Amino acid sequence: METPARPRLRRFWPYLRALGPGLLAAAAGNDAGGIATYASAGASYGYGLLWAMVLVTIFVGVVQEMSARMGAVTGKGFSDLVRESFSLRITALILLTLLVANAGIIVSEFIGIAAAAELFGVSRYVAVPLAAVLVWLLITRGSYGWVERIFLVLSFAFLAYVGSAFLARPDWSEVLGHTLQPRLRMEVGYLYVLIALIGTTISPYMQLYVQSSVVEKGVTPSDYRYTRFDVIIGTVIAGLVAGFIIIATAATLFPRGIEIETAADAARALEPVAGSYARVLFGLGLLGASLLAAGVLPLATTYMLSEALGFERGVSRTWDEAPIFMGVFTGLIVLGASVALIPGLPLMQVLVGVYVLNGILLPIELFAILRLVNDRELMGSHVNSPSYNILAWGIAILVSLLSLILIVLTVLGWFS
Amino acid sequence: MFFLTFIVDQPVHGKAGEWIGVLEDLIVRIGDERYPPIAGLVVRDGRRRFFVPARHLQDLKGAARLSSSTVDLQSFSRRDGEILLRRDVLDHQLIDITGRRIVRVNDVQLTRVEGVYRVVGVDISARALLRRLGPRFLAGRIVGRQIIDWSDVQYLASAAPVQLKVSYDRLAELNPVDLARIVDALSYRESAEIVAALDEETAAETLEEVSDERLADLLEGMDQERAADILEEMTPAAAADVLENLDEDVAEQLLARMEPEEAADVQAHLAYDEDSAGRLMSTHFVTISAVATVGDSLAALRSMEEVPDPLLALYVVAPDDPDHLQGIVRLRSLILADPATPLADLMDEDVPTVSPNDRAEDAARVLAEYNLLAVPVLDDETRKLIGIVTVDDALAVLLPEVWQRRGTRVFAA
Repeated sequence: METPARPRLRRFWPYLRALGPGLLAAAAGNDAGGIATYASAGASYGYGLLWAMVLVTIFVGVVQEMSARMGAVTGKGFSDLVRESFSLRITALILLTLLVANAGIIVSEFIGIAAAAELFGVSRYVAVPLAAVLVWLLITRGSYGWVERIFLVLSFAFLAYVGSAFLARPDWSEVLGHTLQPRLRMEVGYLYVLIALIGTTISPYMQLYVQSSVVEKGVTPSDYRYTRFDVIIGTVIAGLVAGFIIIATAATLFPRGIEIETAADAARALEPVAGSYARVLFGLGLLGASLLAAGVLPLATTYMLSEALGFERGVSRTWDEAPIFMGVFTGLIVLGASVALIPGLPLMQVLVGVYVLNGILLPIELFAILRLVNDRELMGSHVNSPSYNILAWGIAILVSLLSLILIVLTVLGWFS
Repeated sequence: MFFLTFIVDQPVHGKAGEWIGVLEDLIVRIGDERYPPIAGLVVRDGRRRFFVPARHLQDLKGAARLSSSTVDLQSFSRRDGEILLRRDVLDHQLIDITGRRIVRVNDVQLTRVEGVYRVVGVDISARALLRRLGPRFLAGRIVGRQIIDWSDVQYLASAAPVQLKVSYDRLAELNPVDLARIVDALSYRESAEIVAALDEETAAETLEEVSDERLADLLEGMDQERAADILEEMTPAAAADVLENLDEDVAEQLLARMEPEEAADVQAHLAYDEDSAGRLMSTHFVTISAVATVGDSLAALRSMEEVPDPLLALYVVAPDDPDHLQGIVRLRSLILADPATPLADLMDEDVPTVSPNDRAEDAARVLAEYNLLAVPVLDDETRKLIGIVTVDDALAVLLPEVWQRRGTRVFAA
């Protein structure tokens, strides 16, 4: 019996089809805060943090792989698993951590919009409220799908940093040297940027997003290997782009001692590629990436809470049907926009600061992931292998130590 | 009646009041009984966990009290047929049958009936969460408001890592559309559990409404004979859509396992493009010769083995050529007419038709424009009547958003 030769698009090219969650999450990583952090790292420390970038990329690959695996094996999202496996108090702690971290990132996205607006000479007091309303309308009216793609395309402007990195003609042997030779400096400033780097690359919400996407796509343990491929590819690409951003700013701004105070400073690193259009290019990229995340983040956070706490959810519902959902979602956008409008806010510093906060809160999420992914009742035979565990636990402990050192050094700094 | 979270982590005392340990969990035997009885306690002392059978339990409220002092404390290990209330039920999701939705257990309600402690309900209110997060002394003042009786919920056996014999009778009460919505919202493991518990007909009805991704995963994950049986229960049009979404090899194997006639029907639908009238149409319709009377037709309908659903009209065909459509008699006309009336007098001859290669949307538009309940599909070359597109299928085509169950779930963490 023959079935008609019909292109079974759905199961054609399983590897290509799997490309999605990991790649998208990686693209989201190069948002306003990400760019600010990588650009600052390059401008302030030259190539000095490239080695860290390599390690952090490996870290994020490991963490995302575990999240994706949990999603495929259990078929449940992260907050679901947390609620079902941990006590309610611990669940509340983890959710609160994620809420704070995500709220910070939402603020950073609106700051990104403000910064982009100012690059184009538009006052932030016009641009930010406009953007907030736009994003809210787009998501609640359901037309976010194709708009998301537009924003995503805009954010690809940051690939210009790759070009910039080559055109600035850095000393590649020096670049390689710094990449391969770890050199940890015990200074507050250095650690600060290092933790921001970790916080922006291993952003907690990205793990959640990867896991939810895997669940939504209906990936089962048997076809998980395609998804793992996607996660690895996404991570590597994101890591490369981040690396090139650092190289670009390190080659153009660092030698001239230009620290990144405003978005305009970060845009200057694109001059080798875009000349006087560097500002425009950077502004577009920043706008696209920030608008994209400004929509995704509040929605993802609200969904996370609604899954764990059980209130009625859905943006397509009216205020009456899902008051808590709409309330939280709207509240997050309003919060983000409001903070971004505070007069005299040092934009770049807040951007980096938000990711330092993320980095400090990250260990909580990491330990939760490790507990869950090693739970045999949950994961069956798909728990971490002992060697993988050493790697994963090592990462978690290392990140925690770094956060701790930063906190201690900062507090000591207050008293000196 | 009292709640689980009030009594866990409280001390457990022996008959003489001596301290034995802390109440970690309650073991419940799940299966046939409407309100599952407590089979025992899990008591924790330091790092060790003991099992105390229910017969040694004197009182559970407040601090648990055992009825003897020398308790044979067996080390606790999980057994089939038993679930732990705190580990496997609390904070997990269940199906609320009456509410036709998925709910999360925020607390478990217990009561003592004729000396036996039983699980009687679950609290799904947000206040229960507040009660658990707040300090103990306030707990008594925050009372849960939304208690669902245990007999009105469907426990999902995949929540526990042991073999269970859960009864799924109540699932049959749910409308397939509601059930499909629930299946989509659950995790793959849980939805597979639900579908496995349904009989083939209900499974087919439910799966027809389930989202493509989940449907493909479910069919590919189940025993092929059963999958083929379910496909046979579906309408050929629905089965064709389903098969197209599956892995090519699996689809071929399933078709091979189906009854040849059924498989041929499905193949016929697959021959048409995905969005065409040919794919959407139903091949199950009633034809009657033009020389028959109203009385004859009604008798014929009543004696038919399987009458199409929906039945909206009869298709009148030429006496010598049963594939040649001459006209349509709407059911309304049939019922109101005198039984002796020949159909040829009653029928509507001027009937719009569509081609199987027309787009489904265009067929739907014809239905809307001409105020029809069904439109016949005639083969392009032979002009034979090969199927009908009914108004309910047309609705599905014209309102695709209603059938988009996946939507923005990607953001659900």
